Amino acid sequence: MQTVTKGAMTIEEYNVISDVFSQAITGELIGMSNFASLTDTIDDPHEKMEAVEHANSERMHAEGFMAYAKKTKLKINVNLDSEYWGNVRKQFLSYAQKKDFIACLIIQEVMLESFAVSMYTDVGNALGGEAGELFLSIAEEEREHLEHSSGLLRAELEKDPAAFFSKFEEIHTNCMTILAEFTATTDLRGHCGVCNGDCMKGSMHHIGLDIVSLRGNAMALYAQSLDNIGIPGEKSIVWIARLPA
Amino acid sequence: MDSPSSSLDFAAIGHQDSWQTITDFINGIRTDKLSSEKIRDIFSFIPARDLFRVKVRSKTGAEINGVYIETFIDPDKLEIQFLRTNIGKVMNAVSCAEKMGARMVALGGFTSIVLEGNLDSFSGNGSKFTTGNTLTAAYIVKGIEKAAIQQGNDLKDSTILIVGATGDIGMACANFVKNKVRKLLLCARNNQRLEKLSQELMKEKIAVNYSVSPEQLVPEADIIICAASSSGIKLTDFKKNVLICDAGYPKNLETKIENNKDIKLFHGGMGQVSRGFNFCPDYSNSIYRYAAPNIIHGCILEAMILAFENKFENYSAGKGNISVDKMEEIYSLSIKHGINIAPFYNANGLW
Repeated sequence: MQTVTKGAMTIEEYNVISDVFSQAITGELIGMSNFASLTDTIDDPHEKMEAVEHANSERMHAEGFMAYAKKTKLKINVNLDSEYWGNVRKQFLSYAQKKDFIACLIIQEVMLESFAVSMYTDVGNALGGEAGELFLSIAEEEREHLEHSSGLLRAELEKDPAAFFSKFEEIHTNCMTILAEFTATTDLRGHCGVCNGDCMKGSMHHIGLDIVSLRGNAMALYAQSLDNIGIPGEKSIVWIARLPA
Repeated sequence: MDSPSSSLDFAAIGHQDSWQTITDFINGIRTDKLSSEKIRDIFSFIPARDLFRVKVRSKTGAEINGVYIETFIDPDKLEIQFLRTNIGKVMNAVSCAEKMGARMVALGGFTSIVLEGNLDSFSGNGSKFTTGNTLTAAYIVKGIEKAAIQQGNDLKDSTILIVGATGDIGMACANFVKNKVRKLLLCARNNQRLEKLSQELMKEKIAVNYSVSPEQLVPEADIIICAASSSGIKLTDFKKNVLICDAGYPKNLETKIENNKDIKLFHGGMGQVSRGFNFCPDYSNSIYRYAAPNIIHGCILEAMILAFENKFENYSAGKGNISVDKMEEIYSLSIKHGINIAPFYNANGLW
């Protein structure tokens, strides 16, 4: 059988890689918007400037992905109002409107960054070459955001552990439920609105990935992030076990 | 919040031996049920963490506090080809126990393999470690003695087969029973180690026969101690009324034996805490479900007993270091605290 190719890629690889870049660019633009919104919740001028820097960093990541996509003529679909990304953004904004800096930090720098760091690392290792290096280098930068939040959240936890756990659990339920549905083996809320054609999850094997490992590794990094903050395992296991799958 | 300053007498590091237990555990937490397949997709990715606190009571009136740390090892992946991954998981659990400030840490079941290999790789954060193999071995052989009496068997006239004879527990059992039985039959996968052990015993004038194939030894055995992982083990051609102690992981030997009407099998190496224990949160409906109440693995009980005794030292470590004296010591301490050999049971319930 003849293999249809698109440049150096098979058509299947081209489609999946296009969808992977579409998701990454959309995610970075959501991150950029979230950090920009976060600035309104911060009184400390240094923290405020840092949030702006982070927003710019996410913009740069999006631009890096876009530049590669343009060069390789990938088919990119950016949709900030898509089913999952749009709902994550809505969740973030609901806390930003209440000027709840800690909640915003938890969503953006713990939940979203855990998934970004883990998934970019897996994608980077699978793709290899220039695209792989791009994903791996951005994963490293996102890891800094993840580490930045841990210290702040540990301090917040020490002030009032019971209140912190309760707040974290509420945010976990609201936000991680969306990410868990997004990354389930089948789309639990229908088409994501970002992939160009059918859901890319069934085609990831064309680039040496599978959704079970991708999701499992992301959830593992999220669990480690909770550990680093100081959330007891006996709590985090319950939170994680209750997520949709 | 967990911190090294918290009062944690012991930590028990362990793993689940079936997907059924894991499915029950996860679905016990959830409001809706997930299929076993969905749970398999995520379970083994979860990093080691504490699942619940344990309070244990001694006959002396003392109480100790501990924690159970789950390694999230896949129960279908206990074989040698997954060793590297599993060791990584156990080391993560050890870090978790040290971070929580546990004074005594038991590496239960399969996880003991790490401590049997190299104690030096464990950091000196103040925690002490034990495989718990000394008490497990003691419960196995004391259980065999007790069951043999119940069955009307005289140990002195019995031929006893030890499957997994070159493992830490298998060697301890062989050492304990060698002068109490008519003949020892030894079986293990590694022929070189098996030969070495057998020759050492022969030098002591012990009647020994050995083979890497259990089927060559089973027909001669009156009593069988199976102290090896049961995956891949096939036992057939038993003597009528053979007494079997399943002391491996997972304990499911009876499911691998065809026509098991003429055998008497019990799950060995287990103890029962007479004054009981509590889990918080209480997962006893899914984890630690046994035919009788308050049953725990001997390996975990060893750490608890050492904690009751304020004996915070690396007790069972390395391989082949378990002496009969040490088995008697930990067993008598076990009795002192009201922890006895579990009543005999198997997958069908109590005897």
